[in-house]
This record gives sequence, structure tokens and C-alpha cells, in this order.
Amino acid sequence: MDIFTGLINGFSIALTGTNILFCFLGAFIGTAIGVLPGLGPAATIALLLPMTYIIGSPVTAIIMLAGIYYGAMYGGSTTSILLNLPGEAASVVTCIDGYQMARKGRAGAALGIAAIGSFIAGTVAVVGLTFFAPPLAEFALDFGPPEYFALTTLGLLLAVTLSGGSITKGLIILIVGLLLAMVGLDPISGKIRFTFGSIGLQGGFDFVTLAMGVFGLGEILYNLESTLKTEIVTTKLGKLFPTLKDWADSKWAIFRGSVIGFFIGIIPGGGAVISSLASYAVEKKYSKHPEEFGKGAIEGVAGPESANNAASSSSFIPLLTLGIPGNAAIAMIFAALMIQGITPGPFLVVEHPDVFWGVIASMYIGNVMLLVLNLPMVGIWVQMLRVPYGILAPIIVLFTTIGVYSVQNQVFDIYSMLFFAALGYGMRKLDFNPAPLPLAFVLGPMVERSLRQSLLISGGDLTIFVSRPISGTLVAIFVLLVVGQTAFFIKRKMRGKKTAAT
Amino acid sequence: MKKYERITAIITSLGGVWIMYYAWHTLKLGSIHIPDAGLLPFLCGVGLAVLGIIWLLVLQQTKGEDKGAAEKRIWYRPVISLVLMVLYGWAMESVGYITSTLIFVIAWQKVIEHEKWLKTMIIALLGTFAMYALFVSLLKVPIPPEFFAR
Repeated sequence: MDIFTGLINGFSIALTGTNILFCFLGAFIGTAIGVLPGLGPAATIALLLPMTYIIGSPVTAIIMLAGIYYGAMYGGSTTSILLNLPGEAASVVTCIDGYQMARKGRAGAALGIAAIGSFIAGTVAVVGLTFFAPPLAEFALDFGPPEYFALTTLGLLLAVTLSGGSITKGLIILIVGLLLAMVGLDPISGKIRFTFGSIGLQGGFDFVTLAMGVFGLGEILYNLESTLKTEIVTTKLGKLFPTLKDWADSKWAIFRGSVIGFFIGIIPGGGAVISSLASYAVEKKYSKHPEEFGKGAIEGVAGPESANNAASSSSFIPLLTLGIPGNAAIAMIFAALMIQGITPGPFLVVEHPDVFWGVIASMYIGNVMLLVLNLPMVGIWVQMLRVPYGILAPIIVLFTTIGVYSVQNQVFDIYSMLFFAALGYGMRKLDFNPAPLPLAFVLGPMVERSLRQSLLISGGDLTIFVSRPISGTLVAIFVLLVVGQTAFFIKRKMRGKKTAAT
Repeated sequence: MKKYERITAIITSLGGVWIMYYAWHTLKLGSIHIPDAGLLPFLCGVGLAVLGIIWLLVLQQTKGEDKGAAEKRIWYRPVISLVLMVLYGWAMESVGYITSTLIFVIAWQKVIEHEKWLKTMIIALLGTFAMYALFVSLLKVPIPPEFFAR
């Protein structure tokens, strides 16, 4: 099936009544959680994972979850601009100039350019996804166990190094994620691992309990510590459509943001957060008036908001073509596909073209829906911020508890989720970034299987990982990354010592 | 915070050593030709043990700052809410979904949020009704039966 036939088929699937409804639902929920600080897209997708059991159709379920992910990028800018409070991590940088614009009475223009930039970038990235994903999936058909081992380990390492924070802590979380994935029956030898006599653990931990615990409840527990109250919005929005001058100032920022976001989104660990930071840095560096950045430059809103949307769409490329989730939210969508009995990877386009093309086509539709949802309805989203956290938190707890119970109808899953909630809370307290945990958990079985299969194929010869061209290249990148990081670390230490001595 | 980080780093290292022992002794490593169920856990154990030590060394070298001092944080609220959630899970099986949910929301609003009785009851009734309507009536999720319905 060529790309155009696939896309037409995709539209015929995405444009059915049910799928349009769930696409709208995803975009709506995504915008809502993007607006609300304290609950990111990964947490929300985690909270809604049990719903995918009930929805039944894999295309419909993934269309909704994808809508939540890219919808959150649209909604995230609203609180950043109006309250200087990022609705989610990818909109942190939007606070800098967006809030300054709002203080100068130009909140409407900032919100407008953020929505329009997001729409353009989102659409550009989906076009890229349409043409980039099928050839990559075809290329990946030649991958064997050594290639998959090299790719997954490289992906996990990139996820740790790029997701920010301490690399040591990131690696610890990565290993914890791998170990959690090993709990239960070893699929190759049939041995029981790390169950400590518990029958409930013999089937292993369910991804839904891990995701809902660490990202959903863990986040709530951490937010409960905070004494900060949400500010009541008093900012006047002003005109929502940007002026011709605004458009002239931001068009190249939107274009650059789209390109930066698209390419960073493909890299495992890249995603929306890094792309928005990179876009802001690029805009400031190449601006004719860098001194205006931080004081309300519209490019400082247009670039990052475009970049995070482009990245959220392009991060579907490694998932749909290689079966590698690049960030926590995509790992949730990976799990949702697995729940539906679909293994993401190079065979997806051949075995489940309805899912592959249906989801891609729904992104075009979802982006149009989001533009409509975000521009005229911004006032309604702002009103949502008036709902006190004291009401929202127990409702989310009720939702997660019944949600996780509904997966297998057993209370054991609720206790598992609470264990992960305590783990997630502890991680936040100790300044750990939880993003690598779900990635390691979903990729863990693939890492182990491909390692053991590679060793079995080669008769224990470790050179199998470097003697084949694709895995050899991936191993070389892995080694370069490790050496580069170590050299950077040593250099920084030496400089620190020199500074201390002088 | 550094004290807790130090303790966690030591636990990480010791945990790594225990995993190495468990993988080697109970799961078995196999050979490089035919690896067994303990190989990857063993490597993970080595990784944790080493990373725990590195973390400890990094903590020794970084001096003094304490993050998060700018905002006052109330540590007991998450602890109490976690206890409430455990009790809720237990009560769900013992007294059924509706009763346990009502009690849980009332307890949450009174203990965590210190809300007035009227507001507490409204939130509890509406929350329980909304969850029941969504999951049980609309999505047909089977819930633990009420104690008096058994």
C-alpha cells in the first residue's frame, strides 16, 4: 500500500462518527489537562488506560490517547501565558515571554499565536510523519535481535541523558524500571523471579498500575504537600487574533520551531520539553533584538509552542515504526497498543494498517479540532482553573482506584498502584525524574529477550553486536555518547576545582 | 534533604548487592552461550551497586545547598492520604464500593482539606454518584458488591 492510498484509507477510518467523537474527546481532555497545572499528559493517559479495555477498538482507543498527548501541548500555553504557571513541562519556557506579553495587555495575541503556531507545527509534523514513517518501518523489517538490543539500549540511554536532571539518578531509575519488568515468570526459562512467594506477583506488575501510581497518584501526593494556591485569573485577554506585525515577527519562529520540534521529537528522550527549550534558545540567538526576550517577545512564544507540538506528533515515528517509545507519554500509548493485542513496530503498517493510518489521519483532524477548541474557547478553559485542587484530587483518586480495579477486577492491583504511588512520590521528593521508569518497564522485556536471543544465535560471541552494520553503528553511537558524557563530566569537575583553587 | 539522599544511595547500593546474590544464587546466571534467567538481573544488580556508590561520592563532593526551602511544604498530608487510600482499597472489598467511596471522600475532605460538613457531604455524594454513573452504569465495570447486598 503506497502512502497516499494508506492515508485515504486512514481518513475513511478516522472520519467515522465514533472516531471523530473520540478524537474530539482526546483533544478536549488533552486541552483541559494542559491547562490544569499538576497533571501532565503522561499522567492523564495513564489514568485513562483502563478505559482502552472498555473502548474495545484499538484504533479508537489510540486516536483518543494521541489526542490527549498533542492536545495537552495546546492547552499548556494557557496557564503559562496568563498565570506564569506552566500547565505542563513543555510549556515552562512559554512563561518567560508569554506572561510578560499578558502583563502588557497582549495575552490574547500570545494565546492566539501559540494556538496558530501549534496548529501549523502540528500539521507540518503530521505531514512529516506521513512520509517518514512508512520507509523507516520498511527499513526496520531487517532488524534482528542484535539490532533491537542495540536500539533499545541506545534509546534508553538517550532517554536518561536527554530527559534532564542527574544522569546517575536517571540510570538508577532506568535499572529499577528494568527490574520491575522482570518480576514474575521469565518467558524463556519459565523461572519465577522477584515474587517473594506472592501469587499476585507471578503474572508480573501491570503497566497500568505502574503508570497510574507513579504518574497519576504520585503527582497528586506531591502536590498535596504544596501550600501554594492557584491565583484567580484577572488578566484581560484582549484581541485573540495576532496583528499583521505579530504574524510577520513570528512566522519564521513558527517555521524553525516546527523543524526543530520534528527532529528532536524523533530522538528517544527528546520530546516536547527539550524541543521547546531548544527552539527558545535558537530564537533568542538569531533574533535581531535579543534584548527583548524575557520582556514579551512574541517569537519567544511562537517558536517553543510550535516546537513542542511538532515534537509531540513526530515522537510517534519511533513508536509506530520501530516499536520504541521515546518518552513517558508515548510509553503509555505503547502500553495501550499492547493491551489491545497489537505490538507496535515495523510490522504494524503491514499487519494493522487501520491502526497505523487511522491514527495518523486522526492527527490532521485533531489539529483542526484543537485550533477551534483553543482559540474561541480560551475563556472557558481559564474558568476551569477556578476548580479547587481539594475537590479535584479526591475525584482523581476515585477515578484511578475504580479504573485500576476494572482492569482485572482485583484489589491486589489497587495495592500495587499505591506501592507505585509511594515510589513516585519518593522519586519526586528525592529529585528523580520519573520519565525513564515507564520506558524501561515497557522496553525491559525486549531488552532481555533480544540480549539472550543474540547470545544464543552467536553461541556466546559478543562481537555479534558490532559485526552487523546496523547494530554496529548503533553500538558506536552508544559508545560515543558514553565517552562524550564522561569527558564532559570530568572536564566540568576539573573546571570546578580550578575555580575553587583561584 | 542530603541526609535522605545519602540513606537512599546506601540502600540503592545494598539493594544492588542483594539482587546480584539473588540472581547468582537463586535464578542462576547460566553461561554466555546459554544465558539463564539471572543474567540481566545480575547485571542490573551490579549497575545499582555501582551507581549507588557514585551517587554517594557525588553527594560527598557537593556542598550544602538544600533545595525546596523557598516554599513551605506539608509532609503529613501525602502520608495521611496514602494511609486513607490503603484503607479505601481494603474497605472496598469489605463493605462494598458505594459505602467505602462515600466514607473515603468524607474522610479526605475532613482530614486532608478540613472542609465544612455541608461542602464535604455534597462533594462525597456527587463524587460517588458520578463515579458510579460513569463506571458502573455507563461503562459496565463490575465493582465489589455492597456488604448488605451479599
